[in-house]
Amino acid sequence: MAFFFNRGRSRQPADIVRTTKELLLRIHDSQNAPKAEEELAKQLSQMKVIVQGTPEVPPSVDQVHALVQATIQEDLLFDLSRSIHLLPFEARKDTQTVFSHILRFRPNSYAAEKDPPVISYLVHHRPEIIVELCRGYMQSQSAMPCGVILREALKFDVITAIVLYDQSSEGESAIRLSDVKPNQRQRGDGVFWRFFDWIDKSCFEVSADAYTTFRDILTRHKSLMTSYLATNFELFFARFNNILIHSDSYVTKRQSIKLLGEILLDRANYNVMMAYVESGDNLKLCMKLLRDDRKMVQYEGFHVFKVFVANPNKSVAVQRILINNRDRLLRFLPKFLDDRTDDDQFMDEKSFLVRQIELLPKEPVDRARPTRDSPSAHTAAVA
Amino acid sequence: MDDMSSHYQVMEELGSGSFGVVYKAIDKTDGEIVAIKHIDLESSEDDIQEIQQEISVLATCASPYVTQYKASFLKGHKLWIVMEFLGGGSCLDLLKPGCFNEAHVAIVCRELLLGLDYLHSEGKIHRDVKAANVLLSQTGKVKLADFGVAAQLVNIKSQRNTFVGTPFWMAPEVIQQAGYDFKADIWSLGITAIEMINGEPPHASTHPMKVLFLIPKNPAPRLEGNEYSNTFKDFIAQCLTKDPDLRPSAKELLRHKFVRNAGKPEALQELIHRKQDWDGGRGETKDVKYYAESLNTMTRPEDLDDDDWVFDTVKPPPIFRPKGTDWMTFDEEENAPDPAQMLEDMHISAPPPPPKHQANSTVRRVPTDRSPSVRRANTKRRSSGVKQPLGLDLSYGNSPSTVRQFRRVSDKVPTDLNPAKHGFDENQSPKTVSTDSSSKEAQIGRRAYSKAVGMSCQEVLSTTGDGDKREAISRLAEAWSDLEMVDPEGLYHIVRIMNEKLQADSRLSTLLPSTQPDSPSRPRLVLAQNNPHLKSHRRRQSYVPEPQPQSPPSVPAQAAPGMEHTKQLSDVLYQRWSEGLRNRWGGF
Repeated sequence: MAFFFNRGRSRQPADIVRTTKELLLRIHDSQNAPKAEEELAKQLSQMKVIVQGTPEVPPSVDQVHALVQATIQEDLLFDLSRSIHLLPFEARKDTQTVFSHILRFRPNSYAAEKDPPVISYLVHHRPEIIVELCRGYMQSQSAMPCGVILREALKFDVITAIVLYDQSSEGESAIRLSDVKPNQRQRGDGVFWRFFDWIDKSCFEVSADAYTTFRDILTRHKSLMTSYLATNFELFFARFNNILIHSDSYVTKRQSIKLLGEILLDRANYNVMMAYVESGDNLKLCMKLLRDDRKMVQYEGFHVFKVFVANPNKSVAVQRILINNRDRLLRFLPKFLDDRTDDDQFMDEKSFLVRQIELLPKEPVDRARPTRDSPSAHTAAVA
Repeated sequence: MDDMSSHYQVMEELGSGSFGVVYKAIDKTDGEIVAIKHIDLESSEDDIQEIQQEISVLATCASPYVTQYKASFLKGHKLWIVMEFLGGGSCLDLLKPGCFNEAHVAIVCRELLLGLDYLHSEGKIHRDVKAANVLLSQTGKVKLADFGVAAQLVNIKSQRNTFVGTPFWMAPEVIQQAGYDFKADIWSLGITAIEMINGEPPHASTHPMKVLFLIPKNPAPRLEGNEYSNTFKDFIAQCLTKDPDLRPSAKELLRHKFVRNAGKPEALQELIHRKQDWDGGRGETKDVKYYAESLNTMTRPEDLDDDDWVFDTVKPPPIFRPKGTDWMTFDEEENAPDPAQMLEDMHISAPPPPPKHQANSTVRRVPTDRSPSVRRANTKRRSSGVKQPLGLDLSYGNSPSTVRQFRRVSDKVPTDLNPAKHGFDENQSPKTVSTDSSSKEAQIGRRAYSKAVGMSCQEVLSTTGDGDKREAISRLAEAWSDLEMVDPEGLYHIVRIMNEKLQADSRLSTLLPSTQPDSPSRPRLVLAQNNPHLKSHRRRQSYVPEPQPQSPPSVPAQAAPGMEHTKQLSDVLYQRWSEGLRNRWGGF
């Protein structure tokens, strides 16, 4: 380690960055360049020592600063972000460490409440890097390191905004923060929307990591997400219901039902919740979950179903379904997951729902609440 | 997606790990032998994310000193984790015929230090180093295993506070939760070295709860006696330096004379052969259990008279579901299973094997919960619908158990425990039998079973060594479990009447520990750190299960003499973790 360390010190960060850049271009051009890969691994491990020091010697702020400046000058982060899957095993992990440190880096004089300089640089000048990191989910080799870096970056709402609003195709330049228009509906082919397929279609490890990132995007920055969901309500929940809740993967299904419940019950998303529980099709979907043959799916489904029943202003469509199924529900619910005797909250909520269903009128009552124009256009396929 | 599980030919069971069953298997693509861990996700409530964390720690390790992760994938609601196969067994297994000699310990220590040095340079802390988690290959290669509680640090200088590990092996700073780092693993390594030379860690005969007090309070353990070399004694002393700042790192310890002079790993084959001879000498015909896709133990809350929901839309024609297949699907790749083997798996008439109890599970972090609610307080035995099998360690009992937030239940155990059911009536779920008994008594009966009867059988079982006795107890436990499934009301009445009779008899009622009801809030651990009377104080207030209207005031669990305090302590300890308290332990 001391050997590496000394070498790292003796060479200027700018040199390391330049060499790394050249090597990255080389492995991009030729598929098989074992020599270049090996050399790259060395450079990256030197960078790692610069950013995190060693157990014996702490990192030097000046060195890190010089490294950060050099990476921005050479646009190294872009080359790294699109090449992670080409790197050897250890180099991928080193890249993850270096990247995360650079994103977090603040010079000594920097005000603590401002976003770190590299974050601001990314959203204003080089958002393509963020999009490339997301595309890391397309290869299993890059999925996990890209996921770790992304989640580090998504702690900042400006980065989340880029991921949500970018609609560039591969090779095009990505959206700048100043071009974001929250009120414009999304086409549904931007990088954010690809997460649905990455979660549903990838192998377990990639899917699980993509889900974790997806969840971060949806839950970390409330006001951003609330306005996004309001604008893209139909598109979002059509995808969510059709792809995630209907996923064949047990983990995706269970986790996304849980996430749905979390989104709906978040106070910031009150309007989203009201719109969601107005739809009869959404209710049907939940009622089917209650009859899934896996207990934990039933259980997570219950936590969404309860919102429909507890809503004091049920739409006519929802009332009709509940009334038509009143007797069935009243037979079904008392026995539903009745071995959860330890779970007091669940038992309470269940008996509350039973009471609510008993109290339903004979015929649906229209409370003349303005309904959304077509709350179920996209979810119709679900039924 | 193609079914990854079809790439593997699953063979015999290697053992039940800390969570789930591990099988030996052949990778059909290249013929390599691998170990596959099956985790039943349906039986774990909230920790899918945690399992992913474990996988991500494993997947980012590539070292000859760490068990190699190969792949993971889902098959239904089971997660399969494919790892390299290590045929030599764990160091704990190899200790069964007798202790290791110093030369062997030195080799294991050096290899472990190489593994720890790798992990630590990667920003990972293992946090559960002990002989049980050290595996050997057939050729004597030593590898660290079980990353169930490992941590990945963002920064090499960052610290952790989480209280995880296995009490006997825990470093003082971990117990005190004052922030710890890689050095915690070095302490555990020192304890593991003592374990290998003595056959057990220091304080092994002490209750694991008490050990948590002793480790920070007492001077660090040392090897004494002329039978050990001075370099070995010094090595142990270095590892077991109480101040983590003064404790050497893995890299520094690799320069210690004790490991520098250690022999080649191949010499450890002696230990493997010794174990094989020992097994042979005991005439232990290994009870080989082959993998068969387990019976699906889940149930649908389905009434025969109750159709699916009626929606306005046209109902799709009901899918014909042949009754049997729900419960009896054998794996496709096992499509030519040996009928004899299948029969054996069913155990139609054979008595059930005594359930294994898990000696060394590990403390887990408390995961964040969905919403602030009482659920947290009751997480101890949150059933997820799957019957909790008997025989898995639920309390901290008196085994050297590690502490884990969730017990991932191996689906194998219930299969073993309910053999008759599968044999006679595989079409009927245990659940449907009792669907109509949802009366109050039935509920209390089920609760009495889950809170008291089942656990007390298990506690007694875990203190019983004798094979015949164990079998008798486990048969009794099975009978209770059957009764609970078939007639929870009856169970309630038995418990109630039994209790009344015990109370009514003047001699018996005085013999039973008194049961003055505690306040509804569970006992809190108020640690007067230097109060030596803590234990006896605890013993005086015997544990009462959570107050429950009409619940029998006393249940047989309390009749197990001498067990009340462990119950109490484990409960208290559990609550401490579940509330995430981490600051009351300083200042020992």
